[in-house]
Amino acid sequence: MTVQRQYTLPHCNLVLEGLSADANDPLSPLAVLMNAECHLPGATDATLAGGREFLDSLVTAVSRYGQQLLSGVPHPRTTGSAPPMVEIKPGDLPYHHHLIVQQQPLGDRVNDVNALPPLDIQLTTVQFYDLMEAVDQLLADTQTLPDMKAQFQAVSRRLVRPTEPMTKRAAPAALGAAALAAAGLALFFVPPPEFEPTRPESEASAPAAASAVPGEPPRADGEETSEAVAANGDDLDRLEGAPAITDAATIALLQSDVTQRLQEAWADAPRPSGDLAYRMAVSEDSDILGYQYENDLALEEVDNTPLPELTFVPVAGAEPVRERVAQFVATFTPDGEVRLEPTEAPAETDASEADTSEADTSEADAAELPALEDKVTDGDRIRELNSDLYDSILAELEPLSANEDLRFRVRLTETGEVVGYEPVNAAAGLLANETPLPNLVTAADSTANQADFQVVFTESGVLEVNPWDGWPQ
Amino acid sequence: MPVDSPPAPQPPLVLDTLANPGLPSDECPRRARIQLDLLLLAIEALDLGGSEAMLGTARDLGLEGLVKGRVHLWLLRGTNPMRRYSQRQPLNIEEAKALVIIICTLARRLTVVVRQLLVGYQQLSDKQLSPEHHFRLADYLSRFRSHFRARMNPRRAGVIAYSSDEKLDELALQLLQELLLCAGVLGPQRLWNSLFDGEVS
Repeated sequence: MTVQRQYTLPHCNLVLEGLSADANDPLSPLAVLMNAECHLPGATDATLAGGREFLDSLVTAVSRYGQQLLSGVPHPRTTGSAPPMVEIKPGDLPYHHHLIVQQQPLGDRVNDVNALPPLDIQLTTVQFYDLMEAVDQLLADTQTLPDMKAQFQAVSRRLVRPTEPMTKRAAPAALGAAALAAAGLALFFVPPPEFEPTRPESEASAPAAASAVPGEPPRADGEETSEAVAANGDDLDRLEGAPAITDAATIALLQSDVTQRLQEAWADAPRPSGDLAYRMAVSEDSDILGYQYENDLALEEVDNTPLPELTFVPVAGAEPVRERVAQFVATFTPDGEVRLEPTEAPAETDASEADTSEADTSEADAAELPALEDKVTDGDRIRELNSDLYDSILAELEPLSANEDLRFRVRLTETGEVVGYEPVNAAAGLLANETPLPNLVTAADSTANQADFQVVFTESGVLEVNPWDGWPQ
Repeated sequence: MPVDSPPAPQPPLVLDTLANPGLPSDECPRRARIQLDLLLLAIEALDLGGSEAMLGTARDLGLEGLVKGRVHLWLLRGTNPMRRYSQRQPLNIEEAKALVIIICTLARRLTVVVRQLLVGYQQLSDKQLSPEHHFRLADYLSRFRSHFRARMNPRRAGVIAYSSDEKLDELALQLLQELLLCAGVLGPQRLWNSLFDGEVS
């Protein structure tokens, strides 16, 4: 007995016809499906019809597409197989869907002559929903085709194509690599930082202080150590700590003397192709203590110059120079001339050159003090010395032009005579002559027990004197 | 045999229709948590009494054991990482099933409204008019926007993507369409499986 089952929704009408399994029971399920028809009023006038194969394909397509709309993950079609009879694809516009049905002429085999183009039906979301609901109701209905069950299955991770294409995912890594390469290229042109080894402060100043005390006789080994420089000839590093000769007349004398000696020694040497410039240090008795090339040609041609011969070869070790030196730049020109020019004098020596006599005394007195050997240890004596020093400075103190504190270290003998003083800060060094200190120095070469005091002329004009090592207990 | 009224569903029976997806752990993936919360948000925007209806539905379906009142529902929805007060605790499979059932039940109740809105939107977009010309649709969209902005953390990358009104309207319409697809006979199963698309091995 033929049975018809119908699922009706506003935009979809699904009609199934088949043979009932039990002729007497109108509700018995279909044993054989003869025809399935699907009308989509509002979307198309055509009737989609087919047998079991069409129905299976329709159910699969609708279920999968419904799930795809919910999750946004497309269900991949198995590759290699023929396109299914029914296929649903998202439309160009949002909320439009394309139902594509391969049409097959009834009763004939498909060939080139009678093949029909696939039917393309555009559905809105609501129309698609009705189609899906009709199919779902069929699936849920156990009294029509009980063998047809809903087959929901989440899409496997392996079948999902990444949402971003490979190129887009690789972009951050590529960008990083490119940035690294660009940075590397840019840094390639930056020169490596030049490392200049500098002598620690204490090491540089201590020996210099030792040699410059007024009145102290030059140490016996002073000259030997100072010549240590020339061991490598072109190394002036050890001369950096040496005090500079600041007397303009002395410098001029040294200049002409050394020039003459170099000129004579160089008379019959081969002429260089360009200027050879050397920086050199000369001691007060016009010995060349060291030199250093200033240009690359000078380094190559150094053996053709008289410098290696004339340079004093030191006897012992590479100790820093303690002698006073003058620095010159010697230029050997291709014409066979030797020019010698003093390097720029330090700023503070300019002032002392202007007034030589005063500069000499003040320089001698204001030079750095040697380490104290025989200290005054009597606390009462130190207190007395402190107050005496205070009184004697105050007696001659005149208003100073300083705009900051002037800080001095003043050394007294046990009997109260001033041995010397040393500026502690830069302003004190510049303005030492304004203070009464230079006139107070009376016992420059005393060897008696001594004590150091800190003397501060504050900016506001207040005089402060206290023992250097703190008040005795 | 036809019956007058369906038997009162027992909680396990309701949830039994949803098969376990075979995930490596008992926790819901990130996309599922976002999806469930957004669908509930769309329901709230459609129905002013939406949040009450969710609790009522949970009671009617005997899901109190899984959705234990208002605060617990809020905590479950807070597993959405886009939320302002996002919960670090995971959403387990049974709780997610309960939310799916609630969403689908409410979606079915709202089917008529959802259809009207979607048909209206379709007509407007065919005429190239903006959704503001449809009173109820505009109402739904503006309510969705304000719900979304009030509850989502604007500093999250996922939320920044919806910073403009147009983007939010698009999301609201997308959710409307999803609600319609959930409303059918097999809606729960379809929604449930779609949550794990691309997540199972």
